[in-house]
Amino acid sequence: MNVKALILSTVIFSVLTVSSITAVQAVSNDSVTVYSSRKEHLIKPLFEVFTKDTGIKVDYLTGKGGALIERLKLEGASTQADMFMTVDAGNLWYAGSQDLFQSVQTETIKSNIPSHLRDPNGLWTGLSIRARTIVYSTQRVNPSDLSTYADLATNKWKGRLCLRTSKKIYTKSLAASVIYNHGEDKAGDIVSGWVNNLAATPNAKDSHVMNAILAGQCDVGLVNTYYFGRLLSKNPNAPLKLFWANQDTTGVHVNVSGAGITKHASNVAGATKLLEWLSSAKAQAIYGSLNKEYPANQNIASDEVVSAWGSFKQDDMNLAQAGILQAKAVRLMQIKGYK
Amino acid sequence: MLAVKDLSVTYQNNKVLNGFNLNLEQGDIFALLGDSGSGKSSALRFIAGLDNADNGRVELDGRQLSVSGKHQITPELREVGMVFQDYALFPHMNVEKNITFGISNQPKSEQQARVKELLSLIGLKGIEKKYPHQLSGGEQQRVALARALAPSPKLLLLDEPFSSLDKNHRNQLVSQVRSILKKAQVTSILVTHDEDEANALADKVGTIQNKQLTIK
Amino acid sequence: MEKNCFKSKIWISFLALLVAMPIFVVALSWLFPEHELWAHFSQTLLPSLIGSTAILLVGVGVGVTLLGTILAYLVVMVEFPGRQWLEWALFLPFAIPAYVLAFVYLGVFDYSGYAQVWMREVLGLPGFDIRAGSWAIILTFVLVFYPYVYMMARASFKRQKINMIEAGKLLGASPLRVFFKISLPLARPAAAAGLLVTLMETLADFGVVSLFNYDTFTTAIYSAWGDFRSIEVAAQLASLLVLVAFFLIYFEKKARGQAKYYSADVSNKKPYHATGVVGWLIALFVFGVFMLSFAMPMLQLVIWGWESVGEEWSAKYIDLIASTSTLTIAAALITVGIATVLALPGHCKQDSLWLKGVIRLATLGYALPGSVMAVGLLYGINQISAINMYFGGESINHIIFGSIALLLFAYVSRFMAIAYSSIEASAQQIKPVFTQSAQLLGASRLRLIWQVYLPMMTPGILAGGLLVAVDVMKELPATYLLRPFGWDTLAIQVYELSAEGLYERAAVPALIMVVFGSILMLIFQGLDKKSSKTS
Repeated sequence: MNVKALILSTVIFSVLTVSSITAVQAVSNDSVTVYSSRKEHLIKPLFEVFTKDTGIKVDYLTGKGGALIERLKLEGASTQADMFMTVDAGNLWYAGSQDLFQSVQTETIKSNIPSHLRDPNGLWTGLSIRARTIVYSTQRVNPSDLSTYADLATNKWKGRLCLRTSKKIYTKSLAASVIYNHGEDKAGDIVSGWVNNLAATPNAKDSHVMNAILAGQCDVGLVNTYYFGRLLSKNPNAPLKLFWANQDTTGVHVNVSGAGITKHASNVAGATKLLEWLSSAKAQAIYGSLNKEYPANQNIASDEVVSAWGSFKQDDMNLAQAGILQAKAVRLMQIKGYK
Repeated sequence: MLAVKDLSVTYQNNKVLNGFNLNLEQGDIFALLGDSGSGKSSALRFIAGLDNADNGRVELDGRQLSVSGKHQITPELREVGMVFQDYALFPHMNVEKNITFGISNQPKSEQQARVKELLSLIGLKGIEKKYPHQLSGGEQQRVALARALAPSPKLLLLDEPFSSLDKNHRNQLVSQVRSILKKAQVTSILVTHDEDEANALADKVGTIQNKQLTIK
Repeated sequence: MEKNCFKSKIWISFLALLVAMPIFVVALSWLFPEHELWAHFSQTLLPSLIGSTAILLVGVGVGVTLLGTILAYLVVMVEFPGRQWLEWALFLPFAIPAYVLAFVYLGVFDYSGYAQVWMREVLGLPGFDIRAGSWAIILTFVLVFYPYVYMMARASFKRQKINMIEAGKLLGASPLRVFFKISLPLARPAAAAGLLVTLMETLADFGVVSLFNYDTFTTAIYSAWGDFRSIEVAAQLASLLVLVAFFLIYFEKKARGQAKYYSADVSNKKPYHATGVVGWLIALFVFGVFMLSFAMPMLQLVIWGWESVGEEWSAKYIDLIASTSTLTIAAALITVGIATVLALPGHCKQDSLWLKGVIRLATLGYALPGSVMAVGLLYGINQISAINMYFGGESINHIIFGSIALLLFAYVSRFMAIAYSSIEASAQQIKPVFTQSAQLLGASRLRLIWQVYLPMMTPGILAGGLLVAVDVMKELPATYLLRPFGWDTLAIQVYELSAEGLYERAAVPALIMVVFGSILMLIFQGLDKKSSKTS
């Protein structure tokens, strides 16, 4: 009987394999480590410029927002992360509520980023603005028929509406703003109305929503503007246009991507420097143009493509509300059968 | 009854049979004796319609089964039964299911009667519900025989059916099988390399010499 | 003897329980009940989720069983035009990650895809929403997962004695009757093992269902976690998945019963020859499956990749390929090593319900969605740290979190089922007489293992290793959460690009993966050919 010998050899072998490949690139002390739910191709070019400007190296690990928050929570004081970067105010708010951030309020950041895009306690800072608004077919929709998000729930859009899935955080934040602006009862009716008007099962992605409109499956939809920007860069003559929703009422629903310095950051100085740099005009221009978003720094102009869509009135709902109301919004959508 | 004419077979690039002829009468028990590789199994498998041959014709009970080494009638419709060297019983079916496999188109009651009849013929009553792995080698062999006999084939082929049994057991079984075949009055061909076995079982014995059949 | 069993029990239990750790962590979540959220879910999501999950499982189950066994039967038992290359080509879809196939299918067959555009504009047919209902997603899963059943059923058909089929023929049975009454029942244990893997994979899937926006049980898991920030309820829901998997395994074992079929009669002779029209129809059918499940998606990826390779390709791909292959190889070796120990035949295992139980437990990780498994591991480590600190020690979090070891642990836990089922199948081919005769010759257990068991289990071990390697290569959620810095994989690159809708660019890493996966599958096929020749 010697299963033991076999097991031992397996274990020894495994340990050897593991240790031989665990030559983990040690994270050096003067570098800044970022956990990011912004995708690699959107942050890497930015960090490269930062390193060139300051000599500070940036290590980053991408992941899904919720999962990274969970990892940060569990890592606690032993975390390597100095900064957590994510999209959606709801995620930022939640990370703040879980005591993952420390307050950093420098004059540079304050002067670069308007206060409504920052956490009141300085836990996180918005770095780009993303507007979620109506996109429509120029062939089948008269823009004078369009007005508000709520209007898309009315009967005239029956069978003409495409929406992104309620599982996506952008939809959740939009629904949260609908609750904020209309109250829960009215918001329930609006969500029901949307579901009734759907021409197809809600799509997995904004790009699918626009493709469906182009293909004639539906006539109107709701998208983040940068997806529209990407579509245009591939297909400049697409018969689609953006319509700024709620201009006579509360304004277009906006969200942010942003970052905060982690509570247990080992390189607070470096991380602060990175955050300040990210809010600077130079970084904001890159940040915005990489993904056709609106800069959070109000001192610089939008990317050329983005400016062409015109200016609009923003919903001035405090962004923390999107986080606070998100669970309620999801509940509402699940009750109303918005998949 | 059975006529095999001008059979030629190539086995592993070797011409093993050339101008093989065989004629049997109704109820004959014939043994084909030969060493391994002599082509005796090939002949059997050609008669069964399982393998093609270079040339050769098979006629059974007035029906043309094969012409020029090609089969006119598929094995399924030949009314030829076969007992394989390893019996090839269906391991997931009990004895009864194995035996009724070939007569599934008959009414249930007839099937059951036939199973009873065959089991008593092979001297193994009451094993209907047993599975092949619960039987001894000799029992499996007789069940395989019963299964092959169930549809009342016009011709029964036995491919070295005793080779995996021990010597003592074998002699006893050979005479038992002979009496079963005689009772069933079925024309049979046995392929074997054991001369004693051939003599004990068959009415006629032939060997393969110079790629042709020689009747002793 | 008694003492021997004690020792091997300790070792096997230790290994199995270690592998099963994430399952325990997930089960422990029930210590933290959250009635309010359960009340909400049971009023809104759950009723429809249980229905839609059941429909999906039944549809996918029936589909893969039919397609997998029919294809396997055709290539093993029937000679038809093109059979030889189709036999190995049918393995290839396994190399395509399910989510990649899903986004390709949606790109081609959804309302705005060219297939539908062509149908509407050229044929004048009405358009339809491919994501409505469940047939399209079922079909997608069937085309992704049929190779599991195909692979297992094919191996089983190959071992079936040709004599048995010939006996069936001579007893007057038609090819169909032979298939349904003889070949299929005999291949049932193998096909069921493939089916089981498929169903567990379907249960745990998140990528395909989210692209189709089809709600399954994982929808509720992610909603509990992502929307309501309740990792506990997420874990509770996930433990139900494990329970379902457990019952599936139980029924499979029970249905298999006590029947043991030892046969190893590998022959390349085909009992049936399909010539003429029938042969070409069969070839067309098999080729059609290959087209739909591999060639067409590949073509689409190549077209997309061609458009974007200039923009997407960079030196970082060298790193991606390096880390993907390192993880893949390491995970496959460790998983197979442990699975082999667990699957070795032995009298201790024969008699011990406990050992059988813990080994089963070690294979259940396959039913856990990857990210739940990953978080389960993090929580498990965190608990160990907490206990350690309670006794005055230090937290081990900083050593373990973000280490390769943890990620490999997750892979081993998750893919144990794949390695184990393949290796166990080959262990079952070892007839007790081999053991007995070796023992009579005075062989020690170690010699028995080295000289009898391992050589006989080699085909299963190699096959298991390759399958795990392909699965690890495709794995996304656990890798995404647990990987250390600088260990991005190709799968992560595919996800990050496709999540933003950049399918053209995502096609580049996806193609690299499919090429690597195909190479692995071809090695698998080559080994398979070799082993069938030598036996």
